[in-house]
Amino acid sequence: MSDASLADQLDDAIEMMIAEPNSAPPRVDFRMDDLLAIASELRLLPHPRFRAALKAELLEECALPVGGQPVRRSTPIQIHERQNPAYGEILPTLFGAGENTYPLRRGNLAISAAIHAAIIVVIAIGGLLMAKSKFQPDVNSVLLTELSYPTMPALNKGGGGGGGGDRDKLSDSKGSLPRFAREQETPPAIVVRNEQPKLVEEPTIVGLPTLASPTVDSGNPLSAILQPSNGAGFGGGIGTGHGGGIGAGDGAGFGLGYGGGAGGGVFHVGGGVSAPRPIYDPDPEYSDEARREKFQGSVVLWVVVGADGKPYDIRVARTLGMGLDEKAIAAVRQWKFEPAILNGHPVAVQINVEVRFRLY
Amino acid sequence: MKALESQKDERLQVEAARQDPARFAELYEDNFERVYAYIAHRVQNREEAQDATADVFHRALAGLPGFEWRGLPFVAWLLGIAANVLSDRWRHFARAHEGLTDDSELPGIDDNIERRAMLYELVNTLPADQRQVILWRFVDRKSLREVATELGRSEGAIKQLQLRALRNLRDRIAAPMKEGRNHV
Repeated sequence: MSDASLADQLDDAIEMMIAEPNSAPPRVDFRMDDLLAIASELRLLPHPRFRAALKAELLEECALPVGGQPVRRSTPIQIHERQNPAYGEILPTLFGAGENTYPLRRGNLAISAAIHAAIIVVIAIGGLLMAKSKFQPDVNSVLLTELSYPTMPALNKGGGGGGGGDRDKLSDSKGSLPRFAREQETPPAIVVRNEQPKLVEEPTIVGLPTLASPTVDSGNPLSAILQPSNGAGFGGGIGTGHGGGIGAGDGAGFGLGYGGGAGGGVFHVGGGVSAPRPIYDPDPEYSDEARREKFQGSVVLWVVVGADGKPYDIRVARTLGMGLDEKAIAAVRQWKFEPAILNGHPVAVQINVEVRFRLY
Repeated sequence: MKALESQKDERLQVEAARQDPARFAELYEDNFERVYAYIAHRVQNREEAQDATADVFHRALAGLPGFEWRGLPFVAWLLGIAANVLSDRWRHFARAHEGLTDDSELPGIDDNIERRAMLYELVNTLPADQRQVILWRFVDRKSLREVATELGRSEGAIKQLQLRALRNLRDRIAAPMKEGRNHV
């Protein structure tokens, strides 16, 4: 039999012996009996690393002082791990295994594990807290007229206006204005419909009594040659507006504008006109663009607060940009006010609102 | 005469180890294969044999101060411990598996143990490539193809290496055994 054939047969037999370690050596050519007997005994050949590891353990045990703690005895698995490179290669020195490594001290291992666990817990709690506290930019708003610039009562000028009429087809007749009074008992009239009133009162228009009457006469200059008329407006008074005043406005004042007074527009705070007080004022949102650019500042809005407490005619008096103007307007549009009061009656006033956007 | 000198040397080794436990390493080196071979002859797998061997040497080190020289080789004392270790293991195993009995033999060096111990020692004297093939094939249980890949050779070449290694072991083990018989 050639060497090659012998080597093949021998290897086949060895394969069978390795596959079934506890079996008897397979029957082969009698010339291989002695080789197979050796191969059979080699199946339990100790791993060279086991021999070295056990020696290291024994030396370590020898090195202990008298009365010292006994050396940790390796379990079968640990011995197997030491002699088998397939095990424990990830952290070969973690458990003090192998030669030239320090012995494991359980106390130190426990302390180390506890410290690591504490660090992990702290990191986890920190992460949770950070995840919960969603970044909220600081946004607040201020009524400038109320807080920033308190105004003194105006003595000789106001705002607002009024108008009226009794749906006459002719334009209102020309004439001088009646005096201003805080409260109107009787609206002015060219054509007096009730000639026998039970209680006679002087006609007035609403406005501060200190206000000087406008020098311009109201009404149609050609009315002298026509029939007298209260005008095409409604609600009493004279003119084309409504509300008991004179002119084309809305209210018991004079001229364009509304809510009483004279000079057009609306009342301003002061001079007997109280400031409106916000009763529902949600903060605006921060725009994504401004947040991204870490942009902050203030927007000032020009707002008319109506007699019903709602904001009207919101305009930007001082712009900021980055989408914050729009956010401020959108928020203030939702506001509700306790309206301004003049002589116990709610009146429309113009105020400024400052909306501050801060990131921190 | 040689045997007497050997016994004297061993006695000195034991005395030295009793005074300085670090010298126990010499006794360990001299007797490891015999103890392991004795145990391997009686157990079913390598892991169990290694664990029991470790147990024997730990007990021997702990009991060395109480060792008394009675004219027998030191390995006889070690094999006595090995028999106790195996007996304990059998008892423990039998308790877990009722019906099994302790059939461990009385300790002693017979030809089988001596031959096996010598075989384990001789593996270390093989040429490097042959030794590597034996370790990978029998200890790590690698396939022929894996060994061939690791060594960068053909499978046929590995088979030849394996054959030569086993023949080498056979020849080397036969020589001292014959020599021993001639001495007797």
